[in-house]
Amino acid sequence: MQDKIKYFLKQSWLLIAASFFFGLLIAVTNASLKERIDYNLNVYKYNKAAKVVLPEADNFEEVAESVSVKTNSGKELTTSVKKAVDSDGNALGWAFICEGKGFADKVQLLVIVDNDFERMIGYGVLYSIETVKYGDEIRFPEFMNQFKGAPAGGFQLSKTGDKTIIDSEIVAITGATITSQAVVDMFNAFIPQVKEQMQEKGLI
Amino acid sequence: MDNNSQSSIGLYKNTFLAGLWNENPVFRLMLGMCPTLAVTGAVKPAFTMGCCVIFVLICSNIVVSLMRNLLKPHLRIMMFTLTIATFVTIADLILKAFLPDMSDALGPYVPLIIVNCIIICRAEACASKNGMFISIIDAIGMGLGFTLTLCVLASIRELLATGAIFEVQILSLKESGGWFVPLAAFSMPIGAFVTLGLMLGLINLVSKKRS
Repeated sequence: MQDKIKYFLKQSWLLIAASFFFGLLIAVTNASLKERIDYNLNVYKYNKAAKVVLPEADNFEEVAESVSVKTNSGKELTTSVKKAVDSDGNALGWAFICEGKGFADKVQLLVIVDNDFERMIGYGVLYSIETVKYGDEIRFPEFMNQFKGAPAGGFQLSKTGDKTIIDSEIVAITGATITSQAVVDMFNAFIPQVKEQMQEKGLI
Repeated sequence: MDNNSQSSIGLYKNTFLAGLWNENPVFRLMLGMCPTLAVTGAVKPAFTMGCCVIFVLICSNIVVSLMRNLLKPHLRIMMFTLTIATFVTIADLILKAFLPDMSDALGPYVPLIIVNCIIICRAEACASKNGMFISIIDAIGMGLGFTLTLCVLASIRELLATGAIFEVQILSLKESGGWFVPLAAFSMPIGAFVTLGLMLGLINLVSKKRS
């Protein structure tokens, strides 16, 4: 038995030592960059998207930490709801993160709705690696502006129509129906469920 | 300068230049095809990917070269993978910390450098058999060769798909009163295959003519 252990150690000592050393190296790197990475994930991208959607907002105060939402695919997700306030402390709307499956990968959007959850103020893209010139067009005004001021929830996707008319009918991006549908489905799933839970909590 | 130093300089020069042309990882060795096809839709992500590969190649070649005399033949691939995975994780963390938007744009392709054949190939073919200095030169040559190739492919694709290179508009678009109609297919996988195929054909043609 002792011989076997000796043989094992003789053969694998370098691998074991290297595993410890490399593990330590990754741990040190992670510890030194963690704060910055967390900031980028939670604050930088959020603020960057929020500033574009609602430039008047001065601060986003968290009011509901974990609101659970069931997506169309049956997946249970949680999101946190933040209240957008201006520099005088006036409430401007509610912001929360939506997530769904796009064409290339998941799509994560920051949605801001008005105080009554009746109309959308707009959305910003937090994460998307959809195809450039196709699904990636969800980042650009032509598609995005269709949601500004539109009734919150109950969206329907159509392949043709006038993109300048603000209503529940959303004209899909040509060649990116899957991504367009994903955005519409996300809003249709998240907005009513978040609204309902906010009403239950007496926040609206 | 004596003969020894001259031959050393010649060896370093040949090792460095090999990665750029004669043993170019993409056009000659046909390695690293996954990022070559996936991240060359625009020059910025292609350049970032190239820099990550250079970083991982240099670090892993240094480590493999330093421990080459301690490597057991049957454990060497495991050691290479462990070494490469460490430096890829570090590169990924650095990207997430300092270039979050680019980290998102590259998505899973940064972690996938772990299974990039170029790096394991250089560890096996060069670093595990040579000293540290020559391994570093090999890593720089191969890394630059890979980065340049990615940037050339990405420039062609970005130019044809959007009329821009490095997000600087070069061709005047028809929608803004110019003449160029963007060929969106070049931003998609089919564009990657077509561009790579044409480039490979061109490189083979040039090589044939030269020989």
